[in-house]
This record gives sequence, structure tokens and C-alpha cells, in this order.
Amino acid sequence: MEKILRQAGEMVLDLATRKGVAAEAYLLHSRDLNIELRDNQIETLKQAEEMGLGLRVVNKGRIGFAFTSDINPAALTEAVNNAVAISAYTSSDEHNHFPGPGCVYPAIDTFDTVISATPLQDKIDLAREMENTARAIDHRIVQVEKAGYEESEFSLLLMNSHGLYAFGQGNYCGLHIFLLAQEEGDAQNGFAFMLKKKIQELSPAAVGEEGAQHALRSLGARIIPSGKMPCVMEPYVVTRFMGVLAQSVGADSVQKGKSMLAGKLGERVASSLVNLVDDGLSKDSAVSFPFDGEGVPARKTVVIANGILNDYLYDNYTAHKAGCSSSGNGRRGSFRSLPVVAASNFILEPGRMSLPQMISDIDKGLYITEVMGMHTANSISGDFSVGAAGIMIENGCLAYPVRGITIAGNLADFLRDIDALGNDLRYYGGRAAPSLRLGNISVSGS
Amino acid sequence: MLEKALMADILARAMSKGADFAELFFEDKQLSNVVCEDNRIESINSGKEKGAGIRVVKDGKTSYVYTNNISEQGLLQAAQVAAHAAGGSAQVKPRDLDADRQKAEFVLNFRRLPEEVGFAEKIAQVLAANQAARDIDTEIRQVTAVVSDMHKQVQIANSDGDLVEDELARVRMTVNVVASRNGSIQTAYEVAGSVSGWELMDQVSLADMARKAANRAVAMLSARPAPVGRMQVVMHADAGGTMVHEACGHGLEADLVQKGLSVYKDKLGEQVAAPQVTVIDDGTLTGRYGTSRFDDEGTPARRRTLIDKGMLVSYMYDRLTAQQDKTTSSGNGRRESYQHKPIPRMSNTFIASGEDDPDDIIRSTSHGLLVKKMGGGQVNTSNGDFVFDVQEGYIIEDGEIKYPVRGATLTGNGPKALLDIDRVGNDLGFSIGVCGKDGQGVPVSDAQPTIRIKQLTVGGTSMADHNKIRRITRK
Repeated sequence: MEKILRQAGEMVLDLATRKGVAAEAYLLHSRDLNIELRDNQIETLKQAEEMGLGLRVVNKGRIGFAFTSDINPAALTEAVNNAVAISAYTSSDEHNHFPGPGCVYPAIDTFDTVISATPLQDKIDLAREMENTARAIDHRIVQVEKAGYEESEFSLLLMNSHGLYAFGQGNYCGLHIFLLAQEEGDAQNGFAFMLKKKIQELSPAAVGEEGAQHALRSLGARIIPSGKMPCVMEPYVVTRFMGVLAQSVGADSVQKGKSMLAGKLGERVASSLVNLVDDGLSKDSAVSFPFDGEGVPARKTVVIANGILNDYLYDNYTAHKAGCSSSGNGRRGSFRSLPVVAASNFILEPGRMSLPQMISDIDKGLYITEVMGMHTANSISGDFSVGAAGIMIENGCLAYPVRGITIAGNLADFLRDIDALGNDLRYYGGRAAPSLRLGNISVSGS
Repeated sequence: MLEKALMADILARAMSKGADFAELFFEDKQLSNVVCEDNRIESINSGKEKGAGIRVVKDGKTSYVYTNNISEQGLLQAAQVAAHAAGGSAQVKPRDLDADRQKAEFVLNFRRLPEEVGFAEKIAQVLAANQAARDIDTEIRQVTAVVSDMHKQVQIANSDGDLVEDELARVRMTVNVVASRNGSIQTAYEVAGSVSGWELMDQVSLADMARKAANRAVAMLSARPAPVGRMQVVMHADAGGTMVHEACGHGLEADLVQKGLSVYKDKLGEQVAAPQVTVIDDGTLTGRYGTSRFDDEGTPARRRTLIDKGMLVSYMYDRLTAQQDKTTSSGNGRRESYQHKPIPRMSNTFIASGEDDPDDIIRSTSHGLLVKKMGGGQVNTSNGDFVFDVQEGYIIEDGEIKYPVRGATLTGNGPKALLDIDRVGNDLGFSIGVCGKDGQGVPVSDAQPTIRIKQLTVGGTSMADHNKIRRITRK
């Protein structure tokens, strides 16, 4: 595969050079498999293969971009012509340039040959085992809406006319389950997923059990009166908030005045318990990769250290503008778009408390297990008002399930108000967090 | 585009292991977008993509294979993989392809196809919008103006003998504005889009949209925080139809109904909304963002009444769900691209206009919230609970609009809200968005007249829980 991609890359760089522009070829080949079971039967089996080129040129400081899913010579030539034509129209900017050669890429294990060698039937059986485990947990699990296995495998080649050359192959696999528990006319959804680098690390029973418990614990939920109270959040809920925060620490948001953390380097922005890092090389993540979407080596960046804002995340452009070096955060989802500043593995480091300890200190509070409508949170102002569900905490114990509430606040206050971090760090794709406790959150209920 | 003979070969190969149904969806599209941000042309992107999705259905089990290797060999290989995954044994022959089997109800005329409009013109639009927003006030800190377009050719062929070839162009303009004062930040956006060429620029000015967004962002800087509690809510026609989309639209999609995940299951023929309320899904509306001549399974788009004067009369179907209910597809089988299998989706969904004067609806409201602009939302179709945020809201007191409020979230229950509608205006306002479901985004529009709902929770919520997969996001 490297050879096919390399030939295409060399051709476009050569064509671009002849037109007098600097160029960068991002070439991706991927294969995906998705198996969805419903009520133990295969509902959908999806297999995909795709290939494509994303071509970026710099023409006197002006960027042009074109992509194509076709890498035959005629289509590649057209892509070069389009990218060069477009570069006539964009704004010239001295900071537009490509990373240079000579990068040393960290050797990390990104490919599990066992995934592709495992027969399809075994993968179907993983999903079945997950579903069967969930059903066996409790007779109130009445329906498994979806039990799925997924895997993705890709080859990525990045080369630019300054001589940078990077090639890597990666893969990962995962399981997910959506189910429904029912009791006395009340129906509650449960959901769980797991993403792993190696197929042997997938634990279908654990995912099935977690999905079932998530639905069961919500049965019989009621609304509570409005008020302010301490709360403990599950790691998954915490990662949802981190998704909003990740946008605020991107240097592009900062430089464009679209971040509540702009101009706050060196200042206290969070409780002194908070240590937040972006680590593209994390050994525990399924999505670590040696280089980013511009060919810059992945690395670890300390974003918040003991509550002090230490650094932002940079791609090549924003780094040049700020006079520093890229942190390896020029990321792309596919060959169809330009790289953007984004977190790789965004990790809130764990604390020392166990979850029961965190709960036991609370007389009256809320254990938040679900948030809804997180996409309406404003990453620029930090304001959020989202639907939530969870379990009421009374006298240090989990008391009864709660639904029908909204939690609201501002992310800046949220960060300062963290008074405990759990020892239960958990990864969800490219984000990881422990449970955490807030001194006070505004709950709107009945 | 693919030759008819090759399409027939692909279908034959797809059914070579036995199948109830096989389908080929081929797409050849070009996309472009121009982004102005930070007072400059931030990026221009253009690209071409061709690919095919092959679906084989056997005993209710779907095998879906997609590839962008569209050589004869690549496509036949994909068909083979799909056939094998469907796992039958006895070969079945597809029917001969016949382009006359499916007829659209109308034609689409594209006067200025995206590729015929040069980048210079698009750039002039976004730069003008950027300037227009910044001229409103020095408190405008950032402006993002985007024009994007798509033009595609599609071929759909299936084992029933249907052969549909069509083309579609879609254009969109958006502007996002950030205003700030003393550390407080407010954002506002405007979006316009249609299934058409760039003749849209003759009807809608991006600069006007930018001024509107800028004025709103600045106004919201002085807005008071939204009150919390239950109150009357007047939704202005300008707010668009997010509410109808969330409150009942998703629950009327047949896949969710059949899986027992909709509150509207087993409710056909029942009163599910106030008698003034008629809800329609119509994929044939000229120029609307969810319009198409055929859905993505080759079924002609139609107008279908879902709720007639308060009574539930129909769900929205694709082929598979229609078969299960022993009916025919309503033309709602849609997909994001060749990379996805079709599922039941809305197109252009709206509450039909009523008879009340919109101003009179406001005048007759003693205390409540006027919603002028909605943001994104989300619904749990299992119980109908919905949430969405209000971009622009005002407090009504004694029939008068008093002051703007910010940060309001509206929560309620879809079935209950529809029954609680007590006034329906004689106007109609559309909004557009990209609706997300099962990981697929499809363009939709939705609309409503000015309506009043007796009671909704503002700031609080009566949501059951999460359901990330069924939500509409507005980008």
C-alpha cells in the first residue's frame, strides 16, 4: 500500500513543483468493518474500503486545497490544477508553510495483526456474547436495540515538497451496546462502549454488563426540586465536558478571540487538583499515532498543571504565528479537509480518591451519570445548560435515581470548583478522565 | 456514471448467493466551500468524490459494502463481498433494469450550477458579510462567513428493476458572529440554504444575514438571564421548525416506531395534537433544503400528511420499514452518502399555517417567553422528551414584548406540547439544518407558523435521559 500511495504523492508533488508552488500530499487508504446485531441477529454488516488524496499547496503565502477520491493520474493532475487555481484567491499569510523534514517519529505500537486475521464469525460472536451477557444480567433487560462490533484499519502517508516523509499504519476495534430496561411502565435506555488497540483486550462481557447496569440503575427515576448542591460526575460525563474545553485550548480559537482561555497563560484557571494533558502517544489509548495530519511528531503537552494554564495546542500555522513549535495537534478526520487544531488524546489526570470516598463525604448531592444536549454548550463563552440524569446522594450513599433535570453553569467556574478527582481514570476514544466532584452545581428540577 | 450493463452485472453478482433485494447506489459529486474568518479568506476547499454503496438484504439482514474504487473490477468485487456477507446459497436473478419504472413528480431547474460560479464571486460575498457584521458595532470580535455548495449525479439501481438517474445541487450560506463586552461573550448565527444553484444569491444577501446576526449578538450582550420555570411560550414563525422536527418528527420515523422506540407506536388514528395542528412532510417543495426528486432509494419524493387536524394518520417509511408494515415507501429513505445505508428520515417538515394573526397571539399573552430564534435540540424518541436552546428570546408581559433574555433552554414532552398548542398563526417560517441520526447527517428544512404553547419549562427540563444518536444539530 505504501508504494501505491507514494507514487501518487510523488506525482502530485512533482506537478506542483513544476507550477512553482510548495505542496503537501495527505494520502489515506482505509478499510472498515461494522457489525450490528439486533435481538441477537445480524441486522447490518457493513464493509468499506476507500482511498483518497488531500492536497494542500502554498503559493506565495496563500493556501489552496483540493481533494479527490480518485488517484489515477488524470484525477491527480486535476486536483493539482484546482489547488493551485484556488491559491490565487486566498489571503496571503507569512505563517502559511509546511513542516520541514528531519522529524524523528516515536516508535509506538499502532497495528494489531490479530484484528485482520480474526475470522468474521469470531467478531460476530464477540457482539453476541456482549448481548447475551447483558440479557442474562436481569430479566428487566427487555430489548437490545443494537449490539455492535467495529474495526478500522488505515495506511497514512504524508509527504511535502520540503522533503518531509511520514508513513504509518494503524488499526483499532471496538464494541458498543444500546439496550432498554423496563419495569412497571418505565423504560430506560442503557449504553456502553469500549475501544481497544488489540482485539484480545476487548471484553464483551464487561461492555454488556455495563450497558445493562446503566439502564437498570435509572429505572424508577424521579424529578427533584431545583437547588444548588455538590455533585460527582462519572468519567464519561467528564469527558463530554472536556470536549467543550478542548476547543478552548486550541491555539486557533485563542488567536481568533474565540476562547475563554485566551490571554490566560500562567494564570490559575482551575482547581489546583487539575492536571490536564494532551498526549498523542498515550499507551492506553486506541487512537494514538506517531504523527499528526501535517506530519509533525505526536507528543505530550501539559495544558493545565496544578490548576495553572500552561500551554495551548498548536498546529504548524498557529505555532508559527505564536513563535513556538507545533505540538502535533494539526489533525484531520479524512483526506477531504484541511488540518485543524484539535486534541489527540485529551487526558484529565486522575486523583487519589476512590468513588465511594468521593460520595461518602456528601450529605445531599447528585451523582451525575448522563448529560444530554452537550452540543448546545458554548465553547466560546463556556456557558452550558444541559439535560442530566443521575442518582441522588443522601448521607454519603447513593439513594434513588433522578431524571428530568437541567444542570447549568460556566465551564470556567466548573474548573475552579473541582474539589476531588477519582483514581478511576478511564479512556473513551481520544479522551480520558476520572470521576470528579464539584463543590456546587446549579440544578433545575421541579 | 456507470453503464447500465455494468449495473446489471453488479446486481447479479450481489444476488449470486441468494437475496431478497439488492441495490446499487452510485454517487459522483463535487463540493466546495469558501470560509472567511479573522478578516481574511481563511480557506477554500474543493473536491471530487465518486463512490458506490451496494446493499444486499436477505431475511431482514442487511449487508452493506461501499468503496470508492469504481473500476469494473472494484465494483464487482464489492458486490461479491456483499453477497458473501449476506450468506445465502441459491442464486437469484434480479429483474431487468427499466428507467421508466419510477417517475418523479417534478423537475428541478438549476440556473447557476455551483461550478459555474467562480471563487471570486463567492469571496466577494463572504468579505462583504464580514464587513457588514463588523460595521454594526465595535463589540463584534469575530465573524465567520461561509458559502458552500455541492453538485452531484446519482444512479440508483435495484433488483426490482428500478433504475433512477438524477442530479442535485445544493447551496448554503452561513454567518457566525461573536460579540463581547467586559468579558461577557455572546454568539449568533444565520444560515440560508436551498436545493438550487447560486440563484439563491439573488434572493438572499449574506451581508444582510451578517447584519442580522451581529445585531442579535450585540443585543444579547445586554439581555438578562432567562427566567426559570413553567410558562406560556410563543414561538415566532421566524424561529423555524426545530420544535416540530424534535417534538414529533423523529417519533414518526417508521424504524423507531417498529423498534418500539417511539411514543407514537400504536397511535395511528388517535388524537395526538391539538385540533388546529396539521403536520406535513413534503420532499417536493421547490428549493427547500430537504427537497429532492427521488429519495436515496429511488422512490419519488412526495407530500405526506403525518398529523391531520390533530389526528395521527401516517408514519415516514423507507423501503424496508414499509415492507414490514405491508405498505409502500413514503419516499423518506435517505442517506448521507454512498457510505451509508438508507433509513427513514424527514425531508421538509412543517406545521401547516392556521388562521390567527401572529401579532394578536402575542397581544393575547399575559406572561410568557417569545422565541424569535432557536438553536440546536435533541429528542429522546422513547418517551418524547425534548430539549432545545433559544438563541433569541424575549419576555412578554401583558401582551407586550418587554426585554430580551439569554441562555434559555426549552424542555418539554413532544406529545404533550403538541396537545398544548392553543394558537396557530397564518404565517409560516422555515429554518434549515443538518439532521443527525445513527451517525448520518442529512439536510432538512422545517417550518411552523407562529404558535403558542400553553406551558413549557424554561431553563429546567423534563428529559428522561440521553440519547446521543437521535438528535438534530444545526451547523
